[in-house]
This record gives sequence, C-alpha cells and structure tokens, in this order.
Amino acid sequence: MSTAVAPTTSPPRRASQAELARKAQRRDRIKAWGWRLAGYLFFLSLWEFSSGRLMDETLLPGPTAVFATFGELWQSGKVPGAFATTLTRIGIGFLLAFVVGVLVGMLMQNRWLSGFFKDAVTIGVTTPGLIWALITAIIFGNREAGPLLAIVLTTFAVITVNVSEGIKSLPKDLIDMAKSFGVGVLKRNRHIVIPHLAPFIFTGVRFGFSIAWKVTVLTEVFSSSSGIGFEMRTATQLFRLPEFLTWILAFYILALFLEKVVLEAIERRFFGWRTTLKA
Amino acid sequence: MTSTSPISPTRAPSLTRALKSPLSGRLTFPLVCLGVWLLTIQAVTTIWPFAVDVLPTPWQVAGFMWDEITGNTLAPQNMYETFWISLQRLGAGMAIAMVVGGVIGLAMGLSKSVNAFFNDWIVAILAMPNLAWALFCSLAFGFGDTGPIVAVVLTGVPFVVINVREGVRNAPTDLYDMARAFGVPRERAIRHVLIPSLMPFLFAAGRYAFALGWKGLVVAEVFGGQDGAGWTIKFWYDAHRAYGVIGYALLFVIFALFFEKFLFDRLSRRFFRWRPSANATAEDPAPTDQQRTPQHG
Repeated sequence: MSTAVAPTTSPPRRASQAELARKAQRRDRIKAWGWRLAGYLFFLSLWEFSSGRLMDETLLPGPTAVFATFGELWQSGKVPGAFATTLTRIGIGFLLAFVVGVLVGMLMQNRWLSGFFKDAVTIGVTTPGLIWALITAIIFGNREAGPLLAIVLTTFAVITVNVSEGIKSLPKDLIDMAKSFGVGVLKRNRHIVIPHLAPFIFTGVRFGFSIAWKVTVLTEVFSSSSGIGFEMRTATQLFRLPEFLTWILAFYILALFLEKVVLEAIERRFFGWRTTLKA
Repeated sequence: MTSTSPISPTRAPSLTRALKSPLSGRLTFPLVCLGVWLLTIQAVTTIWPFAVDVLPTPWQVAGFMWDEITGNTLAPQNMYETFWISLQRLGAGMAIAMVVGGVIGLAMGLSKSVNAFFNDWIVAILAMPNLAWALFCSLAFGFGDTGPIVAVVLTGVPFVVINVREGVRNAPTDLYDMARAFGVPRERAIRHVLIPSLMPFLFAAGRYAFALGWKGLVVAEVFGGQDGAGWTIKFWYDAHRAYGVIGYALLFVIFALFFEKFLFDRLSRRFFRWRPSANATAEDPAPTDQQRTPQHG
C-alpha cells in the first residue's frame, strides 16, 4: 500500500531496504506454503501408499477409496439425514449445556456456592465422555434424553471454568461503585458482568463445542438408531472400513468447519467493537 | 486487637461464617447429590415400577465398589490387575508418544519449514475424536495390546509435539549464545542450558499426554481390548449391571484424581525444586488453546 508513497517521502535507499525486507518476507511465506503443500502431499501419498502395501487394503483404505465411498454414500441419500439428526442433537444438547454452564459459573460468584460446585466442575472436566455415554445409555436406553444428558454432563464444566475465570477478573471497582450508587442486582449483572464475561463465554463455547460433537457421536454409537455414530457402528460391525472412515472423516471435516470457521467468524463479528480484549 | 477484630465479636457469627465458607459448600455437594439420587429413584420407581433394575441405589454401588476394592469380583480380573494392565499399555503408548512427539516437536521448533510441513496434520490429529482412533485400531489391529497402544500414541503425540515446540521456542537463546561465546562445547550447552529450560514443557507434555491418553485408552479398550479398565466397564455394561457401570466409573474418577493430584503434583514439585521461581510455570506452562481443551469423546 505504501509503494506509491515511498519514493517521494523517503530517501531511495531506505525504500529499497523496505522493499528487500518485504521481498524476503514474501519469499519466506512462499517457502512456508511450499513446505505445507509438501506436507499434505507427503502424508496423503503415505496414506495412499500404505493401503494395500504396508497394510491390507480392507484394513486401511486409502484416500481415493474413501473419496469414492463418499460419492456412493451421497448417492444413496443417507448422508444429509444422518448429518441432520446428529447436528440437531448437538444443537439441543449444547444449548442445554451452555445454559447450565453459564448459570453454574455465575452462581459461583458466591463463595459458598463456589465451594459447592467445585467438585462438580472437577469431575466434569476429568471424567471421560465414554463413562457418561455408558451410564446414560444403560439408564435411558434408546430414549433421546440419554445423549442429551451425556452432552450436558461433559460440556458444562468447560463453559463453567471459562465463566468463572472471567468472574475472577471482574472489574471489582466498577461493581463496588455500582453497588454504592444503589444499582440493582439485575441491572448490575446486565451492564457490568455480562459484557465483561462475553469473551470468556465465547472461548468456553468454542472449547465446549469441540467436546460436544465428539461426545454426541460417542453416545450415538452406544444408544441410538440414527445419526453419524449409529452409521459408524453399523459400518464397523459389518467390517466395512471404507464406509466407517468416510463417515467419521466427513463429519470431522464438517465439525472442524463449524468450529474453526463459523464460530470464529461469529466471534470476530461480535467483538468487532472492542479492539483489545479478545479472550 | 484491631487485627483480630473481624473474628472476635461473638461466637455466633463465627459459626455462621463457618457455615457460609466454601468448605461447607464443598461438603454439602455430595450430600445433595445423594439426596437427588435417592429422590430420583423414588420418583422413577413410583412412575414406572418395572424400572427398579435400571437405576441402582447408592448402597448397591457402594457394595459393588467395596467388593472391587477387596478384590472380590465377578469380572475375570480384579480391579488391581485390570488397572495395572491398562497402566502398562498407557505407559508403553506414552513412552512412544514422548519419543516421537519429542523429535517432531524439536524439529518443528527449530525450523520454520518443518513446522509448516507438519503443523496442519498435528492440528488435524489433535481434533480427531478418540472414538475414531479406537474403532479404527480395533478393526485394523484386532483385539489385543497393539490397538489400544496405537490409540494412546495417536492421542498423545499432538500434545507432546505442541508442548515441546512451545518449549523450544521459549528457550533462552541469549543464555545459549553466551555459553557458546564463552567456549562451552555444544553438547554441554545443550545439556545444561537447553534441556533444563525444556523440562517444564516436557513435564507438561507428559501430564497432558497422560490425562488424554488415558481417555483414549479407555475408549480403545472398550472396542478393541480383551482386558483392561475400558474392557471391564464394557463387561458390566454388557451384563446390564448399572451399579457395576457406575461403580467402575467412580473408580475411574478416583484413579484419575489420584494420578493428577498426588503423583503429578508431587513429581513436579520434586522435579523443579531447584528453580524456586518457576514453580508456577511448572504447574501450568503457557496453556495454549489446544491444551486447555479437555478432550472427551
């Protein structure tokens, strides 16, 4: 952008130096991209090569086989339905987990309640999702409530941790001032606490989502008759590895897209007005 | 006198303070859980009388856990053997993950090109659900030891790589340069400058690899094991003994807490006794985005 201005404002020698620096930077970037592409090529061809040569082709289908299977599955028309089922489950479960997580995090402002929920959060963070999946599967069987409860139990703690982290860094002086000026509890929360917590909540949402979709698929494997997890289980029980890999990879790519692209875009948009505080 | 004035007034406020303290809240939590549990059973059994089997009572679970702890179990192995088998697998997987991840992480920290080469794939492996590795390993490697160990390696490696890379990037280059300028041979400079500065990061890597590798191992054992902790919880699940599943789940929690709180905290204190100020970094060095994400599924 400064190329047009540089020759007139600065002496030619410095301009050429800046030019050189920019050139070096560009060369670096091109080199990095080259290596990156080389990495993709290397791993994909390693995968392709080892299927059929290092390992049996039925045990490790290569990327081309997976791609072909995806085409077949798409033609059969099972893909959108399974995706929609799983995404709906994630949506509802995650919404519940979000509400619970934020509520618990807010309640933890109180000292007694923070002691009360402390162990709940520790258990929520450390317990593998598998355990919740099994417990809810055995208690609820095939009912919809099972997966939802499992999602809530695994995800809420991450959101709570982030919210309470935000609460620890609350602007105490602002709240004290509001208190001494007689601002009510609701108004105080609405105008001081929530705006301060928003970035922390967003971080919690991103982390929470990355857990929630994994747990959802896991519970579907045990106790569901529709969705990605169910399709994966069917494929593994029939020993169809290409199909199994296709299901998991397709959903994985979708989830990554939602996590890294959509959520981050929303976050950037949401916090466009504040320049410094970005969680 | 002035310093003690908040406590002194009378006995009654100190009692209410004790009641209001976080500790009392902490103690109340299990009681409330127990109450909710009993109430749920009460409610469920009045609505659906046939559901008695599905929701175990706390006493059933406690009895089951007591039987497990005393080694009197219906499962093929008692709890100590089971956890020992899993621990061996976890140890083997972690050792491989540390070596592989250490080498890759070192290379990625030292060279930008290598970093570009591996970065996206590390992130991709990191975001992959454990379930995918578990199912894949169980199909590809069959039942036995290999599948679970490979699953541990695959879940552990990205965390080790990220931590080691971070450590190399944070290495005190000025100290290293000074050592070299004063004619310290390269090996000695690496041994006395680089490696000590890497230690906290390696330690954190081990800790994360342990916690997440454990979760990955359990899932892998459920699908592709013939014994071990994951297999045993699946055993109770298949036997449709809800109290067995819940009791074993509680054993899992106790096991994880034991390792986290006692072993690793002790070890880290012992490891980093020589650096008085760096204790904080040893506990939690530079949590990056990925690290703060606990991986479940």
